[in-house]
Amino acid sequence: MKRFSILLATLILSSLLGCGETHTSDGMIGVSLLTMTNPFFCDMAEAMKEEAAKHNFTVIITAGEFDPARQKDQVEDFIVKQVDAIVLCPCDSKSVGTAIAKARQEGIPVFTADIACLAEGVDVVCHVASDNLGGGHAAAKAMAEVLEGEGKVAIIDYPQIESVILRVEGFKAEIVNTPGIEVVAVTSGGADKKKSADATEDLLQAHPEIDGIFAINDPSALGAAATLEKNDRADDITIVGFDAMPEGRQGVKDGKLYATITQDPVKIGRTVIDRAISYIGGEQVEKEELIPCEIYRKANADKDTTLMDKQ
Amino acid sequence: MPHWFRPHLSRLVNDYGMLAVLLLMCLYYSWATWRVRYPVGRDAARRVAEEIVDRQGEKAEVLVVAGTAKIERQFSDTLAALLGERGFRVIDIINDSPPKVAAAVRQLVEQGTHIDAVAGTKNCRRVLDRQKETLSALADTQIAVPESYQWPTFLTARNLLNVANQIVVIAVIAIGMTMVIITAGIDLSVGSLVALSAVVVAKLIVTSGAQQATNLELFWCSVAAVAMCAAVGAFSGLMITAFRIPPFIATLGMMQIASGLAFIIARGHSIYQLPNAFTWLGRGADLVVPIPVPLEIVWIAVPNAVVLMIALYVAAHFVMAKTSLGRYIYAVGGNRRAAQLSGIRTGRILLIAYVVSGAVAGLGGVIVASQLKAGAPTYGIMYELYVIAAVVVGGTSLAGGEGKIFGTLIGAFIIAVIRNGMNLTDVQPYTQKVVLGAVILGAVLLDMLKRQGWRLPTRLRLS
Repeated sequence: MKRFSILLATLILSSLLGCGETHTSDGMIGVSLLTMTNPFFCDMAEAMKEEAAKHNFTVIITAGEFDPARQKDQVEDFIVKQVDAIVLCPCDSKSVGTAIAKARQEGIPVFTADIACLAEGVDVVCHVASDNLGGGHAAAKAMAEVLEGEGKVAIIDYPQIESVILRVEGFKAEIVNTPGIEVVAVTSGGADKKKSADATEDLLQAHPEIDGIFAINDPSALGAAATLEKNDRADDITIVGFDAMPEGRQGVKDGKLYATITQDPVKIGRTVIDRAISYIGGEQVEKEELIPCEIYRKANADKDTTLMDKQ
Repeated sequence: MPHWFRPHLSRLVNDYGMLAVLLLMCLYYSWATWRVRYPVGRDAARRVAEEIVDRQGEKAEVLVVAGTAKIERQFSDTLAALLGERGFRVIDIINDSPPKVAAAVRQLVEQGTHIDAVAGTKNCRRVLDRQKETLSALADTQIAVPESYQWPTFLTARNLLNVANQIVVIAVIAIGMTMVIITAGIDLSVGSLVALSAVVVAKLIVTSGAQQATNLELFWCSVAAVAMCAAVGAFSGLMITAFRIPPFIATLGMMQIASGLAFIIARGHSIYQLPNAFTWLGRGADLVVPIPVPLEIVWIAVPNAVVLMIALYVAAHFVMAKTSLGRYIYAVGGNRRAAQLSGIRTGRILLIAYVVSGAVAGLGGVIVASQLKAGAPTYGIMYELYVIAAVVVGGTSLAGGEGKIFGTLIGAFIIAVIRNGMNLTDVQPYTQKVVLGAVILGAVLLDMLKRQGWRLPTRLRLS
């Protein structure tokens, strides 16, 4: 027994040794993202690290992986570590309130990136996000342009997330300006490729007549594209995605998506860290910073040197 | 070692060998999180007051700045009082956000106020340093902020309570899971039941008056949610006992059903119009216990959920170790046929195990909803795996018939300490997954070796 417990202990210890780093920096910022399985947030995390390094700050990156309770635990760990500021991409816009309140009780300023906190009576210093409402408008313009003002459209939604709610709101608000286009279905695709593929399958059964799909992010859009290809409907149904992730941009280049809406995770990450460091240094910051979104079409993709040629 | 002691020791090691692993981990993380820390609140105020007295001597004009949080106000008020006692003049106490503090300091300087020293919390250090750099009038002013000291972040009262608080939900659910696994079953539906229970309790509270709901109503809403999850557990149990559906399949189906129901009831959104009183269970800490540390006694408020968890563990330990129900559960898991032949109603025992598992999962959901002051169908993702991991790491055999309730508590704490420790030592999220997986594998390996009498197979048979 003894032998094996020693064996196990050394195993665990050696695997964990060297993971811890000690740094001498001016300050520490704790970050809890929505997920690290989406390249959007990975790009944002990298940008945050770079921006912080410029000011000789360190950032600690964690992710709640869609679990609000886990995100709350991560915030508590940041409080114990006495970080100088906390940046959150809330896993749930409402449930995040208690975690933010806890940090505020200890005098730690909280910033949100990409997804806003909607809990009442909660004090967030600054929210940095894409202009999702404007992005929704842009997506609707792209849709109207490709359908030439006429057709039936379905939306692949994920209404758990505030930014998504805004995108869909913007889309619906803009699309009514084109009376020929009608939104016939709204379905939830879990913001996930596989689930959206399945949802699209059902969509084609329920509404075979649709001409266009607006998907609230690129994984959803590509999931839908896969189902359309499988059912030989890729030529008569057009998809507009959102986020302009590398995969989504490649999809535009390959003609799977008509357009996607560029979000700038790098700029969001940089801006939120910059505002946090300014604020704790005593500078005034705006309550909200919106990073504009633009339409990314095939013309943009053809000039994009980071993409591969069509396979 | 006296020979009579040896069997006791080997039993202890066999039963609670994992306790040693837990303590080793705590030691490791205490060493690995040896970091710079800053005193806060009254403690910080005392230190800063000493600093100012050391430097300024008899008399000085001092400005006190801090943030708006309660602990920061404690700092500024205590410091002002301490300085007042010494005969120092406190120019002003500014409790505000960093930009406002900066503006206030600038304004005072522009008015020509003479400042000998500015005292602030650790969070104000940057603001004050920057003002000192830019304003020539502050060139000779002392900036007094709490001096840092070295101490393991892991080994602070605050963090240890954190660890306990973070594992409460998993640990509570693991009580039921331990019973189920001892009967040689499994319950995969617990994670979804957490979501279902959280949504149901939130919905019930909203329908019975939302923020106006009385404490009694809150209590009954919670009881109703737990009872509903117990009923769901009973349904799974019935499928398993009456219709002989394997537990894995029956609860896998229930996992999907419960999750779907949670989404339907909540319509995909989170339900958040809950009264503040509802957070009593998840965020309150009413029981204050004295902890003796060298030279003094520290009073620490234990979170209510942790108290509840300990009470449940004591009760479950009593049931499993001292009552016939407990013995029957072990008997059914050890050998169902033999248990049946000796007159135990095995079906009823199995049913009870699944009802308990459902009920504690429901209670877990109520705790999560209370902690987060909202109920959402996205709660409880992957909890079944963490719970099963806690049970297995705690030494309960997946083959059934063996296991200890307190072993499970230790297992849950091992997982909590690893998770917390990795967060404190800045381990990347991806690496965290690898380490957690490795720990679970290691625990199962240990369990297997234990049952083979600590012998490695002489030859690896791959056929």
